Amino acid sequence: MTQPPRPPRSAAPAIELRGITKRYGRVVACDGVDLAVRRGEIHGLLGENGAGKSTLMKVLSGLVRPDSGVILRDGVPVDVADPHVAAGIGVAMVHQHFSLVGALTVWENVVLGEGREGRDRCDGGLAPAGGQGAHKGWLAGARGRHGQGRGRLRRDEACADVVRVGERYGITVDPLARVDSLSAGQRQRVEIIKCLRRDPDVIVLDEPTSVLSLAESRDLFAVLRRAVTGDGAARDGAVTGDGDLPAKAVVLISHKLAEILGATDRVTVLRRGRVVTRRATADTDAATLAREMVGREVSLGEEAAALGLTPPILSTGAARDGAAVLEVAGVTVGAPSGVPLLESFTLGLRAGEIVGLYGVEGNGQSALGDVLAGLVVPDRGEVRVAGEAVDLRRPGALHAAGVGVIPEDRHRSGVVLDMSVADNLVMTDLGPVSGRLLVSRRRQLRHAAELAERFAISCPSLDAPLRTLSGGNQQRVVLARELAGSPAVLVAAQPTRGLDVGAIEGMYGELRAAAARGVAVLLVSTELEEVMALSHRIAVISAGRVVGELDPAEADAERLGLLVGGAVGDHAATASALVSGRASTVQAGATGDGR
Amino acid sequence: MSVQIPFRPKDPAAGAARSGGPLGSVDRAARALLAPTRSGSSPLAVAVVTVLTVAAALGITAGLVAIVGGAPGEVFSSMLDGSVGTPGAFSQTLLEATPLLLVAVGSCVSSRAGVFNIGQEGQMLIGASVGAYVGLRTQGPPAVVLTLTLVCSALGGALWAAIPAVMRYRRGVDVVVSTLLMIFIAEQLVSFVVSKPWLLQETRVSGQIVAPQSNALAPSFRLPTLGDYPGLTISLGAFLAVGLAIVVAVLLARSRWGFRLRMLGHNPLAARHAGVREATFGGLALALSGAFSGLAGGVVLTGEVYRLQPGMSDNYGWDGLLVALVARDNPIAAVPTALVFGALRSGGGVLASTGVPAYLIDITQALLVFAFVLPPALLALWRSTADRRPPPPGRHLHLRPGRRVRGRRVTGGHGGRGTHGANGAYRAYGECGARGAGRGERGDRREGQRR
Repeated sequence: MTQPPRPPRSAAPAIELRGITKRYGRVVACDGVDLAVRRGEIHGLLGENGAGKSTLMKVLSGLVRPDSGVILRDGVPVDVADPHVAAGIGVAMVHQHFSLVGALTVWENVVLGEGREGRDRCDGGLAPAGGQGAHKGWLAGARGRHGQGRGRLRRDEACADVVRVGERYGITVDPLARVDSLSAGQRQRVEIIKCLRRDPDVIVLDEPTSVLSLAESRDLFAVLRRAVTGDGAARDGAVTGDGDLPAKAVVLISHKLAEILGATDRVTVLRRGRVVTRRATADTDAATLAREMVGREVSLGEEAAALGLTPPILSTGAARDGAAVLEVAGVTVGAPSGVPLLESFTLGLRAGEIVGLYGVEGNGQSALGDVLAGLVVPDRGEVRVAGEAVDLRRPGALHAAGVGVIPEDRHRSGVVLDMSVADNLVMTDLGPVSGRLLVSRRRQLRHAAELAERFAISCPSLDAPLRTLSGGNQQRVVLARELAGSPAVLVAAQPTRGLDVGAIEGMYGELRAAAARGVAVLLVSTELEEVMALSHRIAVISAGRVVGELDPAEADAERLGLLVGGAVGDHAATASALVSGRASTVQAGATGDGR
Repeated sequence: MSVQIPFRPKDPAAGAARSGGPLGSVDRAARALLAPTRSGSSPLAVAVVTVLTVAAALGITAGLVAIVGGAPGEVFSSMLDGSVGTPGAFSQTLLEATPLLLVAVGSCVSSRAGVFNIGQEGQMLIGASVGAYVGLRTQGPPAVVLTLTLVCSALGGALWAAIPAVMRYRRGVDVVVSTLLMIFIAEQLVSFVVSKPWLLQETRVSGQIVAPQSNALAPSFRLPTLGDYPGLTISLGAFLAVGLAIVVAVLLARSRWGFRLRMLGHNPLAARHAGVREATFGGLALALSGAFSGLAGGVVLTGEVYRLQPGMSDNYGWDGLLVALVARDNPIAAVPTALVFGALRSGGGVLASTGVPAYLIDITQALLVFAFVLPPALLALWRSTADRRPPPPGRHLHLRPGRRVRGRRVTGGHGGRGTHGANGAYRAYGECGARGAGRGERGDRREGQRR
């Protein structure tokens, strides 16, 4: 950290975007956006969902051509025609959704998609580090890098490279592990190693913490800090062969205020495709950024959770009494690979309470959501609603028993995009709107119009395909439909994912109102703030089972973080081993669904 | 009546090519293929592009006619004469359109449920065989026997289609593959049935060779027609087909069953959440599709051929599938579409007299299918390339690092495309030849039959 970065900071930023405009039909995703990222800084790009952050970065990485505007690299205009060009000028991107091949090993994933150019560069660019630790064998096995045929993969060298880059930045991953068997956090390390191995000058990370636990997020930010300061020394103090690396520039995309405040040097705030402000992070605070991001005064009490800040505890943990309305008892769901996605999962919900099920993504939440939506029949265990066991093999049985579900991925199982809004509003319950044979169009439209008004769904027409609605309105359609049948239980899985702040607030209000009416609400979420803001009781899921339950009053980020990591009880080590194994299989299952 | 018809099993490759689905294609691929026809662009844009593509298809046809030495105008007018020019010709068009419509309506049902049945040809044959057995072995009042014949045809087709349905929902066997392969089994079964005297082979008459076909149905057990030969004749089957198309259209659009079926076709997981049993609904849709094909077989049996012959399905199954494709799975739209395809078939019969090879009809049909199916996909493609188009030039320089890479890429692309084009044209030409042979053979048979 003490040494000046090399090359020295010149007047020109490492990468600069000038006047980038991109329209999709009538929607302006980016409207004359300017962004300058200097060497040696972590630059935060903050904005709500749909503010244009991702589009801007897709422009930078060559995935999208802008309608107008220019990109300058060290002051020189470049035409980023496609991702190869972006890679050629040293821009690398870590996407929100991993682009790894589960069946391949770490080193195979790292070299995948690299041209010969990339390999040469790496071979020459990084001198071998001292063989340290468990991976010494691989370094020793590294053979000469010349004299082998073109197109032939040099496994040992690639493995050595993975270890070398890992040690340089303090991220260790076994290069021979199959990606399938890694946890989400480890997978992200692979993505980052893959990215760093090409020695890029500009690294873009799109919402990198959505799959990470608190501790993993901190590690990630530490790695990024090392990358931008050019401090190549590994955490354990190993001295590398060629001294310091040139400073890099990092762009961190996020919609979470806390992350931006904690990890960045400068921040650019986008709102509706325009730059609202750009300033040094140190000169600002959460309230200011929140106002700039949302465009109005934001009370950090009520809305803080939507902005990624830990809110003051609003709902006191007045645990409700009474019998459980929903009981999930010992539910086990196997995966093709044999490691269960859910293992003896047990949880009970009483009427009128919101139970937050918190956990890092990929620990069985998707499987639980599928079981409760009736999409997956568990291998063992049962689900009881109001004391009655439900026949899970019968499609729609859970819904009939009074379980409403807002699914994690609404496009996958929540809605039919090509059917009309009215159709989507009645599809789970045709009874009230149809006779014995025919659906009454009149009754259907009346019913749909009522729901649309009650839940403030704005749509061009009830006959418009659902596809034409915004994400927030689609989510309201799902909510309206699932609440229409007056369910006893509402399962809301990641209900605010992809929504803007206004829509998130609306969703919070609906969930609270439902609980107030006596509905037992199960909130499955990876957002700590959301869980803490809404829940009467917090359960923590890890590796497919509930590892702890807390009152929100006694819950804080640290304790939840520990539970999430599985480090609880007598078997902490086993637990964390399980976490990594299980998490990866869920991920594999999810990607296998073709999402 | 005892004209000898040489039986040859149809060329499977040609059949597959006609269906638009290569043998190895899977259900999902088929759905993906059809996806762009369902959503996206505005109807007006689609209509405009459709007009253009149809014009292009007709233009290409005219060009092909000219290439083989015919006069496009003459060919066109003779086709019109042969299909709609005279009451007799129009009767023939209606006769051809009826089974096409029935098959198409069935295809609409299954594709709405997301099941891509392509085994209509086989389901027709089985339906016709069961119908022939009932019609030849049952005695009774004509109306009863005829009804029974048609109902049993439908049942036969349904059962034949139920086999892939069971395989699909019990064992996960791909429907596209299983329905396709079952066509060949059906063909062999029918030739077996008509070659065994104890089954349905025609009665031996001394001095004549026994052909692999069944006896003819008694005249009273055939479908009655309105009108007499020189004038317009309409078989009862045509009314039946149109009636069923309307019923199915209403059920699909308005009934609880249709609602669930559409839900299943669009999003099986959401449908499951809403309580739709995929195996029941999907299986039923496939069986229904088979029932319609079987009924089409029964209608061909009782209204056109009057006896069971191995080649009697005569590509109605494949062409009906195309009708559904062009009608975008809408049974009402299938009615005029079936008429157009029927006209092409009947008009194609007279094409030979103009000296133009009859297989041009196949090409025309294929081009028309493309012309109708392509526009939404074209529009989608156009939109996505617009997205990747470079920004307008002038404001700034495009240069340096990206330049070289881009230049190389572009040149490579051009070279590649050129080669592809040449290869494609060559292959298409080869296929035309193969199909032509098939069509000629079939034409011979039909002429003989009508004599």
